[in-house]
Amino acid sequence: MTGLVTVLGSGAMTNTIEGVVDNDVLLVIGSNTTETHPVIGVRMRRAVKKGAKLIVADPRKIGLTDDAALWLRQRPGTDGALINALCHVILREGLEDAAYIKERTENFKAFKESVSECTPQWAEQITGVAAVDIEQAAKLYAGAERAGIYYTMGITQHTSGTDNVCALANLALLTGNLGKHGAGLNPLRGQNNVQGASDMGCNPVFYPGYQRVDDEGHQQKFEELWGTPLSPEPGLTATEMPAAIHEGKLKGLWIMGENPVLSDPNSAHVSEAFKHLDILVVQDIFLTETAEIADVVLPAASFAEKDGTFTNTERRVQRVRKAVPPPGSALDDLTIINQVSARMIGNGRQKANDAAATFDEITKTWVAMAGMDYDRLESESLQWPCPERNHPGTPVLHENGFPRGKALFSAITWNGPDELPDEEYPLVLSTGRILYQYHTGTMTRRSEVLEESAPSPYVEMNPADAEILSLEEGETVQASTRRGQITLPVRITDRVYKGMVFMPFHYKEAAANLLTNDALDPVCKIPEAKVCAIKIEKVEDVSA
Amino acid sequence: MTVTLTIDDNQVIAEKGLTILEVAKRSEITIPTLCHIAGTVSENPCEICAVQIAEAEKYGLKSSLSTEGLFRACVTLAKEGMEIHTGSDDVIAHRQERLAILSQTHFGDCKAPCNLTCPGQINVQGYIAHVAKGEYEEALRLVMDRNPVPFSVGRVCPRFCETRCRRILIDEPVSINHLKRFVADWCMANNIDLAIPKDKPTGKRIAVIGGGPAGLSAAFFLTRKGHDVTIFESEPKLGGALRYGFPEYKVPKEILDYEINAILKMGINIRLSQRWGKDFSLQDLNDMGYDATFIAVGAGIDQPMDVPCTDKGHVYTATEFLYLINEGKPLELGKRAAVIGGNNIAMEVARSLRRNGVEQVTVIYPRARIEMPANQRNIKEAEKEGVQFLLMASPVGICGLSENESRLKLDLIRMKLGEPDKRGKREPLPIPDSTNSLSVDTVVSSLGQLAVDGSVTGGALEESIKISPKGMFVANPRSSQTSVDGVFAGGDAATGSKSVIQAVVSARRAANNIHSYVMDVPKDPADNRFNFTRGKSFDDVALKNFDGINVKLREKMPERPPEVCVQDFDEVKLGFTEKMAHREAERCLSCGCTAFERCDLKRLDIDFQVNINKTGMGKIPWYPIDSDHRAIRVDRNKCIYCMRCVRSCEYDALELKVQSLDPMGRPLGLEIIFNENCVSCGKCVDNCSTGALNKKNRIVPIQSEVVQDIRTTCPYCGTGCQIDLKVKGKTILEVTADSDAIPNFGDLCVKGRFGHNFIQHPDRLKTPMIRWHKDGVLEPATWEQALDFMAGSFARILGEYGADALAGLSSARCTTEENYAFQKFFRVAIGTNNVDHCARY
Repeated sequence: MTGLVTVLGSGAMTNTIEGVVDNDVLLVIGSNTTETHPVIGVRMRRAVKKGAKLIVADPRKIGLTDDAALWLRQRPGTDGALINALCHVILREGLEDAAYIKERTENFKAFKESVSECTPQWAEQITGVAAVDIEQAAKLYAGAERAGIYYTMGITQHTSGTDNVCALANLALLTGNLGKHGAGLNPLRGQNNVQGASDMGCNPVFYPGYQRVDDEGHQQKFEELWGTPLSPEPGLTATEMPAAIHEGKLKGLWIMGENPVLSDPNSAHVSEAFKHLDILVVQDIFLTETAEIADVVLPAASFAEKDGTFTNTERRVQRVRKAVPPPGSALDDLTIINQVSARMIGNGRQKANDAAATFDEITKTWVAMAGMDYDRLESESLQWPCPERNHPGTPVLHENGFPRGKALFSAITWNGPDELPDEEYPLVLSTGRILYQYHTGTMTRRSEVLEESAPSPYVEMNPADAEILSLEEGETVQASTRRGQITLPVRITDRVYKGMVFMPFHYKEAAANLLTNDALDPVCKIPEAKVCAIKIEKVEDVSA
Repeated sequence: MTVTLTIDDNQVIAEKGLTILEVAKRSEITIPTLCHIAGTVSENPCEICAVQIAEAEKYGLKSSLSTEGLFRACVTLAKEGMEIHTGSDDVIAHRQERLAILSQTHFGDCKAPCNLTCPGQINVQGYIAHVAKGEYEEALRLVMDRNPVPFSVGRVCPRFCETRCRRILIDEPVSINHLKRFVADWCMANNIDLAIPKDKPTGKRIAVIGGGPAGLSAAFFLTRKGHDVTIFESEPKLGGALRYGFPEYKVPKEILDYEINAILKMGINIRLSQRWGKDFSLQDLNDMGYDATFIAVGAGIDQPMDVPCTDKGHVYTATEFLYLINEGKPLELGKRAAVIGGNNIAMEVARSLRRNGVEQVTVIYPRARIEMPANQRNIKEAEKEGVQFLLMASPVGICGLSENESRLKLDLIRMKLGEPDKRGKREPLPIPDSTNSLSVDTVVSSLGQLAVDGSVTGGALEESIKISPKGMFVANPRSSQTSVDGVFAGGDAATGSKSVIQAVVSARRAANNIHSYVMDVPKDPADNRFNFTRGKSFDDVALKNFDGINVKLREKMPERPPEVCVQDFDEVKLGFTEKMAHREAERCLSCGCTAFERCDLKRLDIDFQVNINKTGMGKIPWYPIDSDHRAIRVDRNKCIYCMRCVRSCEYDALELKVQSLDPMGRPLGLEIIFNENCVSCGKCVDNCSTGALNKKNRIVPIQSEVVQDIRTTCPYCGTGCQIDLKVKGKTILEVTADSDAIPNFGDLCVKGRFGHNFIQHPDRLKTPMIRWHKDGVLEPATWEQALDFMAGSFARILGEYGADALAGLSSARCTTEENYAFQKFFRVAIGTNNVDHCARY
C-alpha cells in the first residue's frame, strides 16, 4: 500500500477481476492464487485456455505452475533481485515502452542506472532461477500487448516488502502496462475488507482517503469535518505496538476483530506484551486466543448479522446485508463503537449513526467515494474513484494519468531477508494459506466441510531433506526457530525445493507464527512472515 | 452490427451472432431450459428450449427435432427478420412430451409422506433435521410457521403423519409428535423468545369470536400479517377446548397458559367474559369498526341423549362434565359410572371419572370397538387405566334408585348391525327383548357436539347467518365466508368436532381468506399438489430403498404407570429427554427432497402441466445414494442427464459415465464421479437441474414457507464474491451464487459455499465478559458493566498518561463503516493517531 501510494499516488489493484481473462501475459508472483483467491484463480486459468501465457514466480510448486508457460522458482526473499533482473533484460533488449515512459513517468534515469548491474546471471546467483528463464520471462512479459502482474503476501510480507512492490511497479511502468484494460499492477487483497479498512484510515499516518495526518491541509479539513482539534503526530503501527507496551508508553488497547496472538509473527512476543497492558479490550465473534487474555470481551455480530459495505480487492464497494439476528446479546461493531464513544465524549459531539448514515459521512471525507450512497449500492456495485452521483465508477485506474501526476520510477537495491539459514537453522521456512482454511481458523475450523477437508497442521518438506533426517510421511517432527518451537507431522513433497519447508499458519495446535520473524520492513512496518531460518528435527517416540 | 427480429410479436433488436436463447434473455423473455449453461454446448440436449421459427427454410434451417418447424433456441442464431414464437401449441406440446420423457425415470420424493399427510402441511422433516442438529429453537420456529399451538398439539395430536412414515417399512414410525412436544417444552424451559416477526401494520381490525385453538390460531396468523386483532372470549380465560375439553393430565394448564401467552405476546387484544349474543352482536362489531369477523366458537354444545330419564341429578353431558372437572368443581360421582358414546371426548370423560375415584367406569357404544370414532390410541390408554367397554349396546332409559347401593339404573338393549345400505354402511339395530340394566352412580353422555343449538341470537345479522342441519356454521370451505358478508367461520364451529391440528388448519385458511378480503388482494396460492413419489402407498415403495438401513426401534416415551396415573390429574407422559429426542430425530429417513425449491424439472413439469401420475415417474431405485464426497450427496436416481454439472465445473472435476442410452436418450448404468481435481466449490450443485446433487449440510426441505434470499458479500478473501444467503427464520439454509452477479458470476470457492456454519456455532460469544482483577477470570457481564468498565479505564489512562497511551487495532474483517467509526473514535474521542489494522501493504 505504502509502496504504491508513493510511486503512483494511490494504493490499490489497478485493474479488474473481470479483466483477468483479457490478459495476454500474466505474471503471478508470490501468490498461490488458486488457493488464496480461488475465483480469481479460475479466471487466470480461463485466460490461459484463451491463449494467454502465464508466468508463475514462486518458490513452491503451486496449483498454477501446472498451467504456466514458465515457472520461475526463486528462493524465498529474493523477489527484488528477480524483478530487477527482468527490468534489466527489458532495457537491454530495448523492449521498454519509451513513449509511455517519457509521457507518464519520472525518475527513469535513476531507475535505469539502478538495474544496470542486475544481469540475469547476477540474479541467478541470488534467486536460483536460471538466467535463461529470466531472459525468457522478461521477453514474454515485455512482448505482450496486455500484461498484468498479480501478487499477494509472498511479495509484501518481507523486510523488503515495500521495495518489492516498487520494483513490480517499475516493471509495469517500463512496459506501459498501467492504465489499460487487461493489464496493470494487481495486489490481491487477502481479506474481505482490507481495502475498505485501508481506505478508511485505520492507519497511523492516514485519515480516510489516504490523506496524511501530518499534512496541515488534510488535518485542517478533518478538524472542520469532525469539529475538534486533531493530533498531527503519526501514531504507532500495529507491529510497533508490542514494543511500545514493553516500554510502558502504551497502556490501553482496543482490538476489534483481530487475533494477533495467533496471526502475528513471533506471536509469543505479542501475547507477552499484551499481558502488560492496563486494559486490553477485545471485540470478536469467538473467544479467540487474544480474547482469552483480554480484560473486557465484547461479543460482536458476524457479517451475516449486520449492514454495511466491504470494498473488494478491485476497489468495488459492495453491500453487506443483515440476514439473521446476532446470537444472544451480541451487537454489531458499529453500535458498540457508538456506545463507547457516547460514554467517552457524550452523545452531543459524535452522533450515533447507523451504517447508511456513517456511509454518507464517509462520502463527505473522500472524493473517491463522493458519488456513492446506499441507494445506488442497492442496485449496483461501484469501483472507486466515483466522485459524482452520475459517475459510473472506475474499473481501470490511471487511464488518463496518475494521482501524483507522473508515476515515479524507484531505484531499488536488493537487500536479502533479515534472517538466512545457517548451521544451526539450516532450512528456510515460508508460511501461507491453504484452500480449506482461513487465517487463524476461527471461522473455517467451525465449518464442518472445511475442517473435515483440512483438519490438521503439517510441514511440507522436500524428499531429499526428509531423507537426510530419515523421516517418513506423516511422522511428527519438531520445528524450531530462534523464536519458538512446535511439533507437527511432516508431508514429504516436491512442492517445496530442497532446503525449504512450508507451513500453513491456520492451526493453533501448531501455530506457525510462533516461529516466524517479526523483523519489519523499514517503511511500512510489515513483518517478514514469509521467510526465516528453521531447523527440523525428528521426534523420538517417547511413548514407545 | 445488429439484427431485428420478433419474439412472440415483440420487436427485438439484438447484437448479431447471438443465439435466440441469449437474445430472449437480454430482452427479458424467458425461454425455459433444463440443460443450458452459458458458453457451453450440450451433448445431450433437453430440447425444452424449443421455439417455433416461421419460414425457417428462409434462413437455411432444418429442424433436428421431431416436430417440424421447431428449433433449439440455445444453438440457433438469431437472424434478421426472424419471427419466433416461444409459446405456440407445437412448442408447448413438444416441451410437454420432452418433460414427460425426462420425468419417467426421475425417481424420488419431492415431499416426505409425513409432510403430505399432516393436515397442517407442517415441514416435519425440516424440524426433525433441526432437532438432530440440536437446533431446537429453529425446529420450533419451523413448526410455529404453520402451527401456533405446538405445546397442545404435541400432546394431543392424532398423528396422521406417523401413520405414513416410511420408517414403518423398516421397523416403526418416527415419534414425530413427541419430538414436536420436546422442542416446544425445551424452548419453554430455556426461556426462548421466538420473536416472531410481523408485517407492517395494515390498519385493519379483525374481531375473532372465541379464544380456543381456532380463534387463537386465526389471531396469530392475522397478527403476523399486520392486522389489529381482538379476541372476544365468553369465558374468563382463553383456551376454549384446550382448556375445558382436555383435562390437566393431557394438557397441563401451566403449559397451556405459557402457550397462549406466547401467542398473545405478538400483540393481540383480548376481551374476556364477553358472550356473543348476550354482551355483543355482529352489528356491534361492525359499529366498533372491525373490518371482518371470524367465528371460532368451537362445538361446545352436546347432542342431547334421547332416552327417557327420571332422575337427571347425576346425569351429565360430556362438555358440561369436563368443564366442571377442569374448573376443579367438587363432584359426587359415586363408585360406578357409565359413559355413553365412543368418541375422543368420551375417552377423556372416562379417564377423568377414574381420576375422581370412580372404581368402575363403563363406556357404552352401539357398534364394535374398531368402529368407535375415538382414536385407537386414546381407547387403549383409557383401557390401561381400567376403563371397561360395553359394546353393541345402547341406552334405552335411566331411572333413579332411591334405596339401592347405586343411585341410577341404566337400561340397555343389545344391538346388531343391520343390512348394508346403498353406501354399504350398516346401521346398528336393537335386538328385540334383549334388554338388561346396569346399576351406576353417574352417567355422562358424549354423543357428539354442535356449534349452535337451534339458531344464533343477538340481532338481525345473527338471524341471517346460515346454520347447517347438523348445528354448524355454514362456511364456504374455500373462502371460509359465511352467509353474511365479512363474517367468516372456521374450526369446530364450521367443521364439527375434529382434532386440534385440523382446527389450526381451518383457522389458517380462514386467516388467509380474511387477509385477502380486508386487503382486497389475491389469496396466497395453496400448496401445489404436484409430487414425485417413491410410492404412494406402502405397497408401492420398493424395499430396495432401504438397503443398508439398520433396524433401530423408536424411543419409548417415559410414562407414569396407569395405576399411579389414575390417582391424580398430573401429566401421564413425561416427555423425551434431549438425548432421546436426538436419537429419535436421527431415525428420520429424510425422504423429502432438499432441492425442493430449486428443482427445475419439477418447476417446469408444473408450469407445463405435465401430469406425471399419467405419464409416469421412476418406480424403483437403480442406484444407492452416494455420500462419499465431503460436501455433496449424490442421488443418481434423480439425475436426468442434463450434464449441467459437468459443463459448469471450472476444474474438470466431474465425470459422468453411462453404459448406454435408452431409445429416449436417457442414461443406463450411470456413474457420477468426482475426481481428484475437485476442490468442493459446489458450483455443480447450484447448477444441478434436480436434486441429484445436493449439499450435505442443507438439511431442511422447504415447501411453501417464506425463504428470504439475502444478497451479501462473502467474508473471506478480498475477491468480494456476491453470495445469496437463503434464510429461513434464524437459519441460513444454504449459500448460493447468482451467475449474473459481478464480480464472481456464480463462481465461489469451498469457503464461499460451505464455510458459513460458524455463524450459528454454539461457541459464538453471546454476552460481554469482564476480568475484574488482573489475576482473575473472565466473568459474564452486562453491556452496561462492560462498556462502563472499558470507558472508565480509557478515561483514567487518558488523564494519567495522555492520548498516545491508548491505541486501537481495527480489522480488515469489519465493514468500511465500522472501520471509519473506529479510527474516528481514536482521533476524535481519544485524540491519538494510534490506530491501525493488519494490512498496510
